[in-house]
Amino acid sequence: MKTIAALLMLAAPMAAQAQETGSLVRFVACPTYRDADSGRKSGCWLADDRATGRRWDVSLSPYKPDWNFAVLVEGRVTDAKPDACGAPVLDPVRTSRLLDQPCVRHMLPAEGYPGRRYKLQGRYIDPLSVPRAVPPGPYAERTFPVYFEFDNDFLIYQYDDYLLDKAVTWIRAAKPKKLVVTGFAATVPEMVSGQRIAERPEVARERAETIAETLRRLVEVPVEVKWQAGSQPTAEPDADRLPGQSQRRAEIRALF
Amino acid sequence: MRVPVRRLLLPLAALCAFAAAGARGDGYDRWWEPGEGRTFPVQLDYPNDQGTLRLLLTGGPLETKGHPFFEPLGPNGRACITCHQPADSMSLSAQTARERWDTTQGEDPLFAASDGSNCPTLPQGDRASHSLLLERGLFRIQLPWPTREWNGKPIVPDFRIEVVRDPNGCNSGPKYGPAAGNLSVYRRPRPLANMKYLLAVGFPFAPKQGYALPLDPDTHKPMSGNLMADNRTGNLRLQMEDASSTHLAFARRLTREQIDRITDFEMRIFAAQQTSNRGGAVDTLGARGGPAKLRDSEPGQLGSIGEPVWSEFAAWEHIPPADAARLKPEELAFRQSVARGAKVFRDKTFLITDSAGINSRIGFGNPVRNSCVFCHNMTQMGNDVAPGQVDLGTTTMPFADPMPDLPLFRITCLKAPHPHYGRVFYTMDPGFGLTSGRCADVGKITLQSMRGLSARAPYFSNGLAKDLRGVVDYYDRRYNIGYTEQEKQDLVNLMSVL
Repeated sequence: MKTIAALLMLAAPMAAQAQETGSLVRFVACPTYRDADSGRKSGCWLADDRATGRRWDVSLSPYKPDWNFAVLVEGRVTDAKPDACGAPVLDPVRTSRLLDQPCVRHMLPAEGYPGRRYKLQGRYIDPLSVPRAVPPGPYAERTFPVYFEFDNDFLIYQYDDYLLDKAVTWIRAAKPKKLVVTGFAATVPEMVSGQRIAERPEVARERAETIAETLRRLVEVPVEVKWQAGSQPTAEPDADRLPGQSQRRAEIRALF
Repeated sequence: MRVPVRRLLLPLAALCAFAAAGARGDGYDRWWEPGEGRTFPVQLDYPNDQGTLRLLLTGGPLETKGHPFFEPLGPNGRACITCHQPADSMSLSAQTARERWDTTQGEDPLFAASDGSNCPTLPQGDRASHSLLLERGLFRIQLPWPTREWNGKPIVPDFRIEVVRDPNGCNSGPKYGPAAGNLSVYRRPRPLANMKYLLAVGFPFAPKQGYALPLDPDTHKPMSGNLMADNRTGNLRLQMEDASSTHLAFARRLTREQIDRITDFEMRIFAAQQTSNRGGAVDTLGARGGPAKLRDSEPGQLGSIGEPVWSEFAAWEHIPPADAARLKPEELAFRQSVARGAKVFRDKTFLITDSAGINSRIGFGNPVRNSCVFCHNMTQMGNDVAPGQVDLGTTTMPFADPMPDLPLFRITCLKAPHPHYGRVFYTMDPGFGLTSGRCADVGKITLQSMRGLSARAPYFSNGLAKDLRGVVDYYDRRYNIGYTEQEKQDLVNLMSVL
């Protein structure tokens, strides 16, 4: 019941495209880089929603845009002041690069905006020299999701590596008999910014194989691979309340 | 037995070269001849144009007689030591190659036709046939095409290679080039010292590739991915087998004992600049430069979360007046410049654009603002803690400088276009793309150690920069950094003491 309620909450604001805090926005745009300079990784990414005419600060995406290509923006509106980059902030937010849609690269000067000083926080892993805490038992069948950008099977730095590191630490402690990796793809077409977008069915398999290969390098447990098109949103917390993100996933199921 | 007249003249020529050597303090002991049976001491100093390089060997002196690193194993008279000379920080400078040519009139095994000349089809007695080694310090690397994995398993590449320019003849004709199942590129030898750092694994993932690190086929442990320019071998055993069968023309497989003895030596040798002609010893007045610090430190540490990269020279930022008074004004100024250079290296940010391995596929953004330590992030060494395959553009158009003496290849991506260069582009060395078979990896070259630079010019994998200023100037052009003249000189001074 709790899950259904969460899913309804996830889906509801999308159609309305309301701009109030917490509402979901989803659009395709050419990104703009603002050359704010508060040290390393401090520049801003901005994206304009053509349907509403609003510009958003999408800099908090874990996988940032390439100014040569359009991005699929998915994010939730915050009430944060637009003082870092000069636009209202989406957080959480994702910016998937659409490599078949070239853009004219565009850079704005800082215009007094400082950007955000880089801090190591959130989903990052420790060096191997730092021992991982052994997760407490008892151990039973469990599923670990990992997430991807649109139509992409690439492990996202400081997101997927964090999720995988946690999963692997648990798997090493729990010693399951088998791991089943299932890749999912959001293949049901949707209209976004006047475009019909859908993931390739084969990306489900690519995601599964990427995760399986990574697991084979990290744990000595047999890995079986499956894939499935037409994935549905989930309410898993690490998808950050973004339905599209939750659809673009692979699941690692540990079986005993 | 008939001995060539040129061979009889060699000792006389060598004597003349010794007399003319001058600034580098050259002598008979500067060049290590394969099989000469010298003892490798625990400490060995060699002068160079910037000061003195020091090598430290842990575990006591090594008798090199009969040692497989120092003995010629194959028929061409070369040993590992031929191209990994102690005076050149276990690499080989173009200057040393020229001196060797002059000393031996080109008879040294260093100039073997197979890879010490521009192409074996050229007249080997002509100096011009060895111009890439003599001018740029480059050896010919012939690789199978299409590529194969380390175990010989074929890889189906997702790009096509065509030869656009073949100035040396080794990428066309019946024996050479893609049509003949091989490809020749030209690369600098990488230094075989400070190896614990190059083999260190900091994190379990290869973020530029989007996988966990690949496993060592021998130990089943993760591999650092930082050994070779194109990452075609991931452990020392594979690197040795590759090198012995090509550069040494060794027809048999190395024995386990030979591999173990070479590994033992390579893991014991540390090299770094110890003194500067302009600044004095690099481990005085609180600075911790030189090879001893390298020998005694833990490898694989990320500077951003531990000891900052090149903080060895932080004490020279504020030299107390009493200490400063004991230095000559030019020594003080040089040390202050080195300290500033370290800060510029860490703190001066610029926009990094269109560099695969940084701006794609990893999601830092294109562009991303960062400094030199973004990639040169390993404490004490300046190589990449993660596998360091990055495309700086040094080999690929339009970013590479014109190098008409190198071959040029047209790359056509057969699946997705390259994220920065598009469907069709041109390169002088596809780099890591030759190993992975992926178009997105073409042009990526593994970052290497920044130690002992003063002993081993020229720089970059294709010798693009003839000196340290050339390195700084390349980055300044490539990323439109806008270094001031002072910043450039500070960076050069820093690199000269590493």
